Amino acid sequence: MTATTLVPASRASGTESQHRGRRRQEWLGYLFISPAVVLFAVFIGGPFVFAIALSLFSWDLLTPAEFVGLDNFVTLFQDPVLFQAFGNTFIFAFASVVTHIVGGLLLALGVNRIASRVVSYFVRTAVFFPFIISWAAVSLLWQYLLDPTFGLVNHYLDRLGIQPPDWFLDPSWALPAIIGIDFWHTLGFTFIIMLAGLQTVPEHLTEAAKTDGANRWQIFWNVTVPMMSPTLFFATVVTFIGAFQIFDPVQIITNGGPDDATTTLVMYMYEQGFQAFQIGYASAVAIIVFVVIMLVTLLQFWTSRKWVHQQ
Amino acid sequence: MTVAVQSPKRRRRKLRTGSVILDVALAGFGVVMIAPLVWLLSTSLTDPAEAFQIPPNWVPVNATFDNFSGVNDLVPFGQMALNSLTVSVIATVGSLLVSALAAYGFSRFSFRGRNGIFIMMLSALMVPAQLLIIPVFILMRTLNLVDTLVALWLPALIHVFSIFFLRQYFNSIPRDLDDAAKIDGAGHVWILFRMIVPLSAPAISAMAILVFEASWNNYFGPLIFISTPENMTLPLGLVTLQDAQGGVAPTGVFAAITLVVLPVLLVFLLFQRQFVASIATAGIRG
Repeated sequence: MTATTLVPASRASGTESQHRGRRRQEWLGYLFISPAVVLFAVFIGGPFVFAIALSLFSWDLLTPAEFVGLDNFVTLFQDPVLFQAFGNTFIFAFASVVTHIVGGLLLALGVNRIASRVVSYFVRTAVFFPFIISWAAVSLLWQYLLDPTFGLVNHYLDRLGIQPPDWFLDPSWALPAIIGIDFWHTLGFTFIIMLAGLQTVPEHLTEAAKTDGANRWQIFWNVTVPMMSPTLFFATVVTFIGAFQIFDPVQIITNGGPDDATTTLVMYMYEQGFQAFQIGYASAVAIIVFVVIMLVTLLQFWTSRKWVHQQ
Repeated sequence: MTVAVQSPKRRRRKLRTGSVILDVALAGFGVVMIAPLVWLLSTSLTDPAEAFQIPPNWVPVNATFDNFSGVNDLVPFGQMALNSLTVSVIATVGSLLVSALAAYGFSRFSFRGRNGIFIMMLSALMVPAQLLIIPVFILMRTLNLVDTLVALWLPALIHVFSIFFLRQYFNSIPRDLDDAAKIDGAGHVWILFRMIVPLSAPAISAMAILVFEASWNNYFGPLIFISTPENMTLPLGLVTLQDAQGGVAPTGVFAAITLVVLPVLLVFLLFQRQFVASIATAGIRG
């Protein structure tokens, strides 16, 4: 037992019988974690190692796999579709982070100040509703909402005097349309996180700033935002990681089109792996997704540690 | 200190005049957010001949339930709903059982490699499901489990975040309680399931909501593993219904979407507080 153990569980060792009891303890501990360990090995640990190995092979699932070393990665770095997919995924993730953080924070600030309890309940529920609906239902619904002939959105844009595009057939509007749908679908999540974060801002600080003559804008920038920075950072990271794996609406609505305008990394991995059956190549694409997510997670881990020390 | 203790009621009254505009603006935003769902419900109840008019119908025209009755003719909708329920219930109950056992092991015993195993499991939270799905697909193919419900719930039995979350919670339960129970002759299984699990009800329900919802809404897994309509779950079933559009009127698709969405929304209204708590504590984005 090392000194860095987090949980003080074992009693002080000494006599022989205590020693035997400890052996039994060890054995029981392994017993309790064994189902999880077996399942972990079969469905997470093993597949992880296997996926990395697969990326070094060329395999179509039918003919024997052929070891090709890093060839898949060399091909990847010359693959224009991969670059397009990488760009689309980054644009999507970036737009998702900006819209959700700004929208979620403003909404949480507003809802926190709402006077009527009924209005507050209504807004919280209305914003959260879309988040619990499956992406499949959301995608189908929005295909109709954004339909150029009988869609609601185009009708109301028309009324406002805006000439709406044919969203999913126009390469420059398909990705923004998916960004908009994602905003509707997941704003509720960011909103809840922000609302929880807002509760952590001590009221006596804002009150003190008010007494000192600070206006709302100054209080927001100099008290609320700094006090909420851990929440803002956490929400940014979680939103980015979620958005970076976007797949369902793309596959359902546009299937990556038009002209790969909405092909994201996971969409490309799906096409390569489960439609073209380039298993090794698809694994290499998935590894790129993994590496980006790992870097972002480690960044979060590292910075949040620094924050804890500063507080 | 008097400032901090100021009652929210007094603050509310002071703000009232200025905040009417804010209330109206936010209520308006809420209306816009919920409008697509109102349109969905209204259209699913509208006579197909009257549906999808411009300007849109916000209330059903010639209200009818016919759109709903046609859904099951086109895809085995009832079977799909049953599949969704089966998979989600097994995944939720099974993963919580596995997680509670593991969390108890990590929390109450010390054994060689405990921290190492725990940290290894935690690092797996960084690994996206898409990286694992190809090897898991090959495994399922080898085991002849492709196109079965087993392929959907079996990999879901390991839920690392629940293990982590429950271990944290179990650690906060004093060990004196364990010792007292042991003196009374209780075994580990009794202590875990009769004492620690009931004491951890908030954590367990948060994880149950999280796992159930993820499983209920899962589209990626079924898309990879399932090909026969009779074995599909609702999200994939919806999309195939839409694609098999030869015979489906759009109002039929809307009726199907409503059938999928409405129960979830009603359950949400009943358990709103638990839903929100599970999101706020876990911070996992669907």
